[in-house]
Amino acid sequence: MNDDSGGNRARARFQALCQSLRPDLVRFAFWLSRDRALAEDVVQETLLRAWKARDSLKDETAAKPWFLTIVRREYARSFERKRLATVDVDELIAKEEPMLAASEDQQIAEVRAALFRLPEEYREPLVMQVLMGCSTAEIAAELNLSSAAVLTRLFRGRKQLRALCGEDTSQDPE
Amino acid sequence: MIDCSQYRRVMLANPHDTDAELAAHRDRCPECAAYTERLLRFEGKLVRAVRVQPPDAERGGAVIALRPRRSPVVRKWLALAASVLLGVGIAGALWLAAPHTSLAADVVAHMAGEPQAWTRTDVPVPAPELAFVLRNTHMRLRPDAGVVSYAQSCLFRGQRVPHLVVQTDMGPVTVMVLVHESVSKPTPFDEHGYRGTLLPVAGHGSIAVLAKDQSGNLDAVKSIASRVRADIEWTD
Repeated sequence: MNDDSGGNRARARFQALCQSLRPDLVRFAFWLSRDRALAEDVVQETLLRAWKARDSLKDETAAKPWFLTIVRREYARSFERKRLATVDVDELIAKEEPMLAASEDQQIAEVRAALFRLPEEYREPLVMQVLMGCSTAEIAAELNLSSAAVLTRLFRGRKQLRALCGEDTSQDPE
Repeated sequence: MIDCSQYRRVMLANPHDTDAELAAHRDRCPECAAYTERLLRFEGKLVRAVRVQPPDAERGGAVIALRPRRSPVVRKWLALAASVLLGVGIAGALWLAAPHTSLAADVVAHMAGEPQAWTRTDVPVPAPELAFVLRNTHMRLRPDAGVVSYAQSCLFRGQRVPHLVVQTDMGPVTVMVLVHESVSKPTPFDEHGYRGTLLPVAGHGSIAVLAKDQSGNLDAVKSIASRVRADIEWTD
């Protein structure tokens, strides 16, 4: 009986964890894929896989990187299945316009459109840092890069993003 | 000693880097201080920009939701999803009969989903955005309550609740206003690296105030919690 109620509590706790993480996972998948519907699919499959493998998550404080890894893997799978020959960013922006412009602030909508235009190699570490709160070391481990390479990508990514948003970048280092 | 170019390079990679050498450079270089201010202002916009509203975030239903299928692989999981949902339903029914997780544990679990909220910054959330988060809550913060650097309306135990981060002397402190949750007395907690307290608010449920453990001891958190409670003005 005690084992049952303990198991139920653990399941309920895992469910609560999924619920609390889901919005950011969808956001992360959205910035990764730049496709709202695909992001939802990726996260749905992520949660199913996570549910099946929940016993392997021993430490809840490590939940974020654990889920992040599954999201990236699921996205890679979907990308392999549906590889596009070319990507027209303007078309992507037009398609996701309701989500990108869903802000009262025009400046925020501009930053979102600029993020869409940022190459994936810069966009992904930037979103991991800004949205998911990952440290440089965590990003490096996830992307299989050195910390120095991650810092370079973050530097270039932010610099490009600021330029795309029309910020004054004259004082940025080369 | 680092020069301006090195300083800006590091700051562009991580505007919230708290390295002492960076701070020392900023203190003696007004140009870099001004540059940092502009960079942090942009960073505030970036933080808001990445937080797009998930399309189904308002539904608040099953975490593992079912939608029209889009690919064969997704279809393949349909049966599994259905069985998982059934399992979740059964587990939910059992959960109703089982002892519930504590309010403090749920607050801490919620924190795991919002790590970016803990950024130490002096960039406040724009007033219209804060007002939007506090809509329908019948509360407001006193003007001198401190810098509110993060404000979101979060789904918590089936209700939308304001999740705020206030910058204090001991660093960022999270406040959740839980008008639907009551506690009979101040309830301190120390779980999974978070220290905080639940405080009753007569006629308005409770508030949860917590900090990451490296930010201070429990007594300091409790003292800040009392201050935060006093900084909330109820409008009904």
